[in-house]
Amino acid sequence: MASKRIGVYICHCGVNIAQNVRIDDLRAFAAGLPGVRVAQNYMYMCSEPGQEMIRKDIAENRLDRIVVVACSPRMHEPTFRNAMKSAGLNPYCLEMANIREQCAWVHKDADVATAKAKSLLAAAVTKVSLLEPLEEREVPVTKTAMVIGGGIAGIQAALDIADSGFKTYLVEKDASIGGHMMQLDKTFPTLDCSACILTPKMADIKNHPNIELLAYSEVTDVKGFVGNFKVTVKRKPRYIDENICNACGSCAKYCAIAIKDSFNAGLSKLQALHIPFPQAIPAAYVIDPLACRYTREGTCRQCEQVCKDLNAINLDMQEHSIELDVGTMIMATGFEPFDANRKPELGYGRYENVITGMEFERIVSASGPNQGQLLINGKKPKEVVFIQCVGSRDKTVGNEYCSRVCCMYTAKHAHLVREKLPDAKITIFYIDVRAFGKGYEEFYDRVKGEEVYYRRGNVSEVYRKGDKLICRGEDTLLGQALEVPADLVVLAVGLEPSPGARELGQLLKLSKSPDGFFLEGHPKLRPVETGSDGVFLAGCCQGPKDIPDTVAQAGAAAAKAIIPLAQGMVKTETMVARVRAEACRACGYCVDACPYDAIALGEVRLGRATKTAAVVNEVLCKSCGACSAVCLSGAIQQSGFTDDQLLAVIGAIGKEY
Amino acid sequence: MDATKSLRAIAREVLGREDIACLIGYEKGSYGFRAQPCVLTEPDQADRLIFSPLCVHNLTNYLTLEQIGPLSKADIGKGKIAVVVKGCDSRAITVLCAENGIKRENLYVIGVHSPGVVDLKKIERRFPNAVEPAEVSLEGDSFTITCEGETASVPRSELVNAKCLRCKNNVPQGCDVVVEGPEHSMEDDFADIAALEAKPLEERAHMWQEQFSSCIRCYACRNSCPLCYCSECILDKLRPQFVRRSVDFPENLLFHSARAFHLAGRCIECGECERVCPQDIPLMVLNRKLARDVKELFGYEAGADPEQKALFVTFKPDDPNEGIL
Amino acid sequence: MSSFEPKIVAFLCNWCTYAGADLAGTSRYQYPPNVRVIRVMCSSRINPAFIINALLEGADGVLVSGCHPGECHYTSGNYMARRRLVLMHRMLEYLGIHPDRFRMSWVSASEGAKWAEVVTEVTEAVKVLGPNVIKREQVWMQQSL
Repeated sequence: MASKRIGVYICHCGVNIAQNVRIDDLRAFAAGLPGVRVAQNYMYMCSEPGQEMIRKDIAENRLDRIVVVACSPRMHEPTFRNAMKSAGLNPYCLEMANIREQCAWVHKDADVATAKAKSLLAAAVTKVSLLEPLEEREVPVTKTAMVIGGGIAGIQAALDIADSGFKTYLVEKDASIGGHMMQLDKTFPTLDCSACILTPKMADIKNHPNIELLAYSEVTDVKGFVGNFKVTVKRKPRYIDENICNACGSCAKYCAIAIKDSFNAGLSKLQALHIPFPQAIPAAYVIDPLACRYTREGTCRQCEQVCKDLNAINLDMQEHSIELDVGTMIMATGFEPFDANRKPELGYGRYENVITGMEFERIVSASGPNQGQLLINGKKPKEVVFIQCVGSRDKTVGNEYCSRVCCMYTAKHAHLVREKLPDAKITIFYIDVRAFGKGYEEFYDRVKGEEVYYRRGNVSEVYRKGDKLICRGEDTLLGQALEVPADLVVLAVGLEPSPGARELGQLLKLSKSPDGFFLEGHPKLRPVETGSDGVFLAGCCQGPKDIPDTVAQAGAAAAKAIIPLAQGMVKTETMVARVRAEACRACGYCVDACPYDAIALGEVRLGRATKTAAVVNEVLCKSCGACSAVCLSGAIQQSGFTDDQLLAVIGAIGKEY
Repeated sequence: MDATKSLRAIAREVLGREDIACLIGYEKGSYGFRAQPCVLTEPDQADRLIFSPLCVHNLTNYLTLEQIGPLSKADIGKGKIAVVVKGCDSRAITVLCAENGIKRENLYVIGVHSPGVVDLKKIERRFPNAVEPAEVSLEGDSFTITCEGETASVPRSELVNAKCLRCKNNVPQGCDVVVEGPEHSMEDDFADIAALEAKPLEERAHMWQEQFSSCIRCYACRNSCPLCYCSECILDKLRPQFVRRSVDFPENLLFHSARAFHLAGRCIECGECERVCPQDIPLMVLNRKLARDVKELFGYEAGADPEQKALFVTFKPDDPNEGIL
Repeated sequence: MSSFEPKIVAFLCNWCTYAGADLAGTSRYQYPPNVRVIRVMCSSRINPAFIINALLEGADGVLVSGCHPGECHYTSGNYMARRRLVLMHRMLEYLGIHPDRFRMSWVSASEGAKWAEVVTEVTEAVKVLGPNVIKREQVWMQQSL
């Protein structure tokens, strides 16, 4: 093997590394390692002068291998690869030693941190000397996006992508788009009518020439990779052809089966054959197969008779799946309100005048079951108590996080109560009030001025006494126990990840943070990206957020999702598997082990003869290396992680320095 | 009817066929208790064949040795290879075919219900002076041994190979023709493995250190194994170098454990490695440990099903998480 | 015994545990410096012979860590790794190598604290065992650089 000309560059990262690792020691050590021609250190290797240092040395010292001893390769590997590329060196002749995240930041003792840094550096030098130049390839992108989830996040993202000229599929599991925002009455702090600002966007979805809405559908399988996903979408039968139905509603009059109205948070009833809500998109009726007499018992079919002329109803409609090619995807699967039954001490489910925030929204909504009148059992409540942080900031239910919207929606609710019931006594129990957004603190201040009593403290119990509910708690500011009577108790339930999102996340290989929401690519710098290239996050699936933040994030996700579509090409993996046919037994283990069907057995030329051997489709290979570990003869090897390279690293890291 | 006679009749018929190039079987050896493998090509050679408790070899090993005379590629092109297999040997063919090591359509498999073969080391210890070719047959529960002009009878249990005492099934599978005899099958209880596991860790460490330190790395275990047939063995290469050239305990430990791992879910327990080991290293005590664990952990058995995928390229989401933090 | 500082060689998958170890750093969780990380893209890349090689090359303990079951970046790599490594763990114990010398863990990208705990636990356990004595005696072939 021709000896390599290695350059080692040690980063101080300001004081991040330098305060715990003795840079001079490390540089002297590096300079003495075999093959190392240049060993330098610099305050910030990732800065332009730092990169220039590498480029200059490549030119002047004819370096052919670079080791950067700095932060995690997950952070700056692309930076240094680009620097090498611009200096004419193959970008894959780079190895990084991570002495920041995995050394300086986790070991305070400078002696041990420096010793460990030497070991990591020596391993990197050993590996880099065995690395081979690799070639980058590009493949064309399917210029189509898919957005999963038809709440405000999904709607905004789909509109933004479609407006940029790319075809977009919007997949919604329910019969109509709109999501939770559609259920809200007013929005804080401006008190805009939620439906009034949302429905025009919903109509835009329906009318946009670039958007294909797949309502009442679910994603069941995802294959492929950025630029070339193959997505299987299950289309549930709605039994009414949404393209024919004109939403006249004649059929519903003949449906005698009543079900809970989930749009009204279960506070009212509607028919098995129904439209989810008047402004639904698609503007079409749907039949609930779990309730419909025909789908359950095989009799009735009255609705079909009613719609004979239009013939939109087809009770024999079957579930079917379609396969779609898309280039990028956005997850916008939203949230699920915390189930208040998990806090039984607060009386939810036991007392009908204990309700959740979402139920309150429906009750006060003009389109709700009470046409907007705040009535509990037909009477106007005289005393109203709000309890915040139900299911948020609460380790007992496993939710350590703040749901970020409950303080403000409770303030809004209190304002609405005051508006409707000028004489009611309003008390809010809170832990802290977080009014961080634009205009939020001002709104909170305004509500406080409306004779709304904020009492700092948790409610430990809600119980009935006579015809009143008693909220027992402690005012922690006064340090005194207190009992507040109420005719209505509203629980400010927090936000949890949508339950269906879990499986979908696994299909897309998305990581979750400890709170159960999807994990973004980087908490600061890649807030809408994910660990899966080409998959982006919008809205509450990434964490609780209010409407303005959701809309902003949806726009950001759309912009990111457009990039590969606009570029038209994506780079494929470079560290792909390679086969040495002479050693291949053609046993097919690698073929079976490959999660991407990237390997097949085929006839290959070997000198003048031909032989059956494994053949890798380098476009499909995703560089996991599973094939390399199952191969008995070592014939298939993942570039950049070959047996030879890894064994050498194992040897180098095992040594004492 | 006598297995040898049946075998010869089959061989005469088979070797007369156009589509069969050769037959691998056993013939009388030239020395003591050694029967020897033979390759026949003509019908009139059929009477050289024998089948007796001395037929210890797993002849399927020859099927992947493409460079050897009658089995060279050129000859395979001329027709199928007929091979004589015992129950355990036949499972090697199942594994070999499943992993494309050989093509079943290129074989003509002649199965024999073996009543058990002798342990050559034991019998040679018992009859140390056997020079002339000896004969051994099983009569009831005893071996009848004719050696240097004298005939003796020794209980089967004293001389039979240990692997035959726990034989899973002596009925060969997937054969084209079978020479029938008494059948037997049983579940291996792996009592010896469990006994070794029950010993203190230090004792096991000491035992294996002693055993592997004695290994001279002659590679006989590998070469006799019907399933070790890579054209390039990863364990004796210089790049990548998994195992260093030095013959000492650490390298030998690495060699044998890596080899055992390559055989996990593949070893069909013919015991050839252990039989040929000049240092008497109990290699099957390692291979069978893995066979037992693979069955216990993953419900997987080597050679049990011609359709099954290899152990390590399949998984169940609920495979045990044993010992994982 | 108390002065013995073991060397733990850890193979981490890029997507979960390596990211989790990075997070431990970003969060400044302190853990024993005995661990030396080798990054691979997926735990399925780990050839079981690497583990014995690491022990022979000077490691007193070996750790392999990847994504939780069902969360592999490559869908199923960790399932395949688990089969091999669970079996390997049993075999090593059978050969007389203490089970604490080779451990496996699932640590996700968000489990920085768990990574610190795992390293601490593995290191402490190996400290109790003392140095690994099965190390390469002779070095015939030095990788030429």
